[in-house]
Amino acid sequence: MKVTIISIPVRDQEKALKFYTEKLGFIKKLDKPLEGGNRWLTLVSKDAQEGPELLLEPAPNHFEPSKVYQDALMDAGIPYTQFDVEDVQAEYDRLTKLEVEFSMKPTEMGTHKVAVFNDTCGNNIQLVEEL
Amino acid sequence: MTLYEKKLNRVRRVVYSNQDQIDAVIGIRNYIENNFDSDLNLDLLSRIQFISKFHLLRLFKKYYGLTPRQYLIDKRIEKSRDLLRQGMKVTETCFAVGFNSLGSFSVLFKTKTGKSPAQYRKEQLSRSNLTFDSEPLRTEI
Repeated sequence: MKVTIISIPVRDQEKALKFYTEKLGFIKKLDKPLEGGNRWLTLVSKDAQEGPELLLEPAPNHFEPSKVYQDALMDAGIPYTQFDVEDVQAEYDRLTKLEVEFSMKPTEMGTHKVAVFNDTCGNNIQLVEEL
Repeated sequence: MTLYEKKLNRVRRVVYSNQDQIDAVIGIRNYIENNFDSDLNLDLLSRIQFISKFHLLRLFKKYYGLTPRQYLIDKRIEKSRDLLRQGMKVTETCFAVGFNSLGSFSVLFKTKTGKSPAQYRKEQLSRSNLTFDSEPLRTEI
């Protein structure tokens, strides 16, 4: 068994594709049409293109509990997904210039530094740097 | 303050309250990061932070979830993937990242990535569509 897919629930796949590629820098890998205008849409990291894929899935639009759960996480400021970066402060500076909103500025947590931003598609995302 | 920040603050109080320990393990990790290609061992690492070997081992594992040796191996494998992707030959890569036996490098690489270094290099090079010096088959061990 292999880990290949990490799902991120999004309200609008096209908007998510733009945010994740244009602002975060991911690269589109697969884009297959499904029924009802939905797509099987996956992304990979620029630096690890053979690594796991992010699946931008429109679950909250089709399965109410997914929407409820996503909203509850958002309200509590909880990130369900996190990405590793070399330098959290540098990413924070870069993304705030691109008008990405952070609910938590770069903060040291022992041997890690973390920050949390809003992906504009319903999720809090955490950036992590190992110190 | 969000619920998440409250939870993080609690974790910080409970888990990350000893700044001296944190500074010590961060120092060790940085040393490994900057010297992964040299001959590192626990004696050397413990001398750098003036703590006993066993204490160091325990602290490192507590904060990073891995022993220093496991951390070092992961670092070397990660670096070797970069070098192989850039077209460096397997034998050169092995020594460049600090391993001193081609056999153990190949075994570790395969365990961690599922492919032998030669196989990995070949795939990456054909993927990037660049031409490099072809590597003799004998390195395929």
